[in-house]
Amino acid sequence: MSRLPSDTQFAPAAGIGKIDTPVDVQRMKSSLLKDIRRSAYVYRVDCGGCNGCEIEIFAAITPLFDAERFGIKVVASPRHADILLFTGAVTRSMRMPAFRAYEAAPDPKIVVSYGACGVSGGIFHDLYCVWGGTDQIVPVDVYIPGCPPSPGATIYGFAVALGLLGQKLKEETHVEGDNERVVIAHPTVPYDLRVLIEREARRMAGYRQGGDLAETFLTALETPDGQGLDGRLDRILRSTDDPRAREILEALGGVVRIAAERARP
Amino acid sequence: MNAPFKATKKAPVGASHVEALRAVLPHAVIEESRQTADQITVTVKLGSLPEAVAYLYYQRGGWLSVVVGNDERALNGSFGLYYVLSMEEEDRCYFVVHAAVPEGKEEFPSVTPKVPACVWGEREVRDMYGLRPIGLPDERRLVLPDDWPEGLHPLRKDAMDYRFRPAPTGDDETYAFVNDAKEETTVVPLGPLHITSDEPGHFRLFVDGEDIIDADYRLFYVHRGMEKVAETRMGYDEVTFLADRVCGICGYAHSVAYANSVENALGIEVPLRGQAVRAVLLETERLHSHLLNLGLACHFVGFDTGFMQFFRIREKAMMLAEMLTGSRKTYAINLIGGVRRDILGEQKTRTLAALVELRDDVTRLVDMLMSTANVEGRVKGVGRLDPQVARDYSPVGPLVRGSGHRRDTRVLHAFGGYEMVDLGINVGEGCDVLARTVVRAQEVYDSIAIIEKLLTDTPRGPILTEDFTYKPHKFALGFTEAPRGEDIHWSMTGDNQKLWRWRCRASTYANWPVLRYMLRGNTVSDAPLIVASIDPCYSCTDRVTVVDVKKATQKTVPYKEMERYCRDRTASPLK
Repeated sequence: MSRLPSDTQFAPAAGIGKIDTPVDVQRMKSSLLKDIRRSAYVYRVDCGGCNGCEIEIFAAITPLFDAERFGIKVVASPRHADILLFTGAVTRSMRMPAFRAYEAAPDPKIVVSYGACGVSGGIFHDLYCVWGGTDQIVPVDVYIPGCPPSPGATIYGFAVALGLLGQKLKEETHVEGDNERVVIAHPTVPYDLRVLIEREARRMAGYRQGGDLAETFLTALETPDGQGLDGRLDRILRSTDDPRAREILEALGGVVRIAAERARP
Repeated sequence: MNAPFKATKKAPVGASHVEALRAVLPHAVIEESRQTADQITVTVKLGSLPEAVAYLYYQRGGWLSVVVGNDERALNGSFGLYYVLSMEEEDRCYFVVHAAVPEGKEEFPSVTPKVPACVWGEREVRDMYGLRPIGLPDERRLVLPDDWPEGLHPLRKDAMDYRFRPAPTGDDETYAFVNDAKEETTVVPLGPLHITSDEPGHFRLFVDGEDIIDADYRLFYVHRGMEKVAETRMGYDEVTFLADRVCGICGYAHSVAYANSVENALGIEVPLRGQAVRAVLLETERLHSHLLNLGLACHFVGFDTGFMQFFRIREKAMMLAEMLTGSRKTYAINLIGGVRRDILGEQKTRTLAALVELRDDVTRLVDMLMSTANVEGRVKGVGRLDPQVARDYSPVGPLVRGSGHRRDTRVLHAFGGYEMVDLGINVGEGCDVLARTVVRAQEVYDSIAIIEKLLTDTPRGPILTEDFTYKPHKFALGFTEAPRGEDIHWSMTGDNQKLWRWRCRASTYANWPVLRYMLRGNTVSDAPLIVASIDPCYSCTDRVTVVDVKKATQKTVPYKEMERYCRDRTASPLK
């Protein structure tokens, strides 16, 4: 697994003793995955997560998502577990308890690293009191990313762990072609005006909805209809019956009107 | 149709406390300053610190919110100590008592002997800054792990890089648990890994047969070093996203508290609509958090049908959160100066419709819960939090409200969107698990009503202001009422658009110290239920070591067995 580059200069020189998987256990594991014909038991090891992941795992086993219908059952002891689910960025205090839980689970066991913190250390990846992710201390088979992963993603991740689905790792690199140019959005609207409109939309409705509304507004503004500016702004306002959206579009119209006023000689 | 609400300039409050303090301790007060209309910071002489805090706490109706340490050596050659008091009787305000600890003589008189509530704050200051509280009865580590080297204090500015990971000093847990029992007791360890949900924490119950004589706990297994990274790696405007991740359940409350603290420090006025959106999301968070706790309460009394039902309807609140914020965890919505998402017409309609459904569902389930005969039998009179113990330790949220104290930040220090609604405080008199559960159930209805009110009369206008300049070395408090009680943040801006200091106090931090008193005198089988009733972001424990004082035997009982015993109450694993 490629990981974020971490500053090894700050790590203890002797390391912290990562556990490895012996070859025979690896062989046992592959035959377990091939021949498992029963429910899979999961034990959660919280290595210092914020609780977001834990609650989402909880949500995944309760009625709406109900992972138990696939035979996935959360158990109370690592000694019963086929799958160990590690959450959290592995804090210093949880290093030994996590080792103990890992060693208590019978071989062959499958280790799932759950959530952004488990997968890579997340936002905490380089802090003084964490070791930066599950794979710093134990070998990991499956990564379930997300902050936190949704219950749907959780069930999907279990399917990957059981070998029903493959882990999807995708990397895309875009190299700019010789004649490739970025297309300017809304070329007929002056650039400065577009910035003003987008900024006002963000102030009124935030990035997501403001962005959508600015896009609607600019598209409508560009569409020639021979009605002049006032007529066009009116038409834009009439296009929605949501009072809040209308208020925002009105504010965007105000920006255009002021700009038009200023541009008049 | 829209917004009759008008924001009025708040009149400055809190001056009477300064006068009273000057009258009682004439030579103690050195300086006073005001951060906002309802926040005052008074600098006192270091020697008078315990008297000043104790006077304000017990004589003026103050409750301790947080103790903040600060390394101000580069600014004024001293360490700062800030005792934040929430004044809740007359002249309500936040009153901060500040004292400077000079460099080179790094000790201060402990306030804990006079005000027990300060105990955790002072232990933390000792860990993180190496300031020694003289007279502090409990000198164990609080925050730092057992394998952390002695004498390295992470929050001192010159101590270390935030990435520095010292080699572990050992592989053993060395924390000494305290047992106040007069006679011999049996030890029951619980944790640190737990079964159902959640975070790690290690408990020791000291029992005599079935009765809990005393209890102690080791927490902070989750200490990651957030405050340090906020002061080093991140810019002040990025910390809202870090604050989201303080807690996976009530993270939004932290994010709002952090944003408020910086907005208060820099004098930024958040547009009304932005404040309303924040309040709507805070209440959405309270909905799913309270439904979670009600579900767990069912689980621990052996009523698993109720547990599954509460989790089923909790998903409606999660769906609301996802629709309003794009994420089930209400993450990444706050910016300094406002919010990143608006609530448009369609979302408003769908939210209102979902709330109607949710209210019906909750009513049906709460009726079912309360009319199930053995529920009351299990929770009534169990886990008593004595009102006087509560007064001494300043717990927050439904826990303290269940013991008859009127403490709710939304009402006492109304902020942001809560100024636009009329809200009462739900108080229970029973002091037990039942009272806390009932308070939570009532608050679910309040939350629904607040969201409905704010969505019907949402103020018009923008949701974000970008009209401010960053100023270094300003500080102020930010506060919210999270589902578990008051969250309070103290932020001080620094150079290079980075915080000088961020102190974040989660609500459960204030609630842990009283748990010991709530466990005493109850039976072992009620322990998970009592722990769950403070809603500690986790509720059960994987394994319990029971130590019998009389028999002097030690026995480890699997958590599942403890939990089963809590539900069934037959075949005690201790026999």
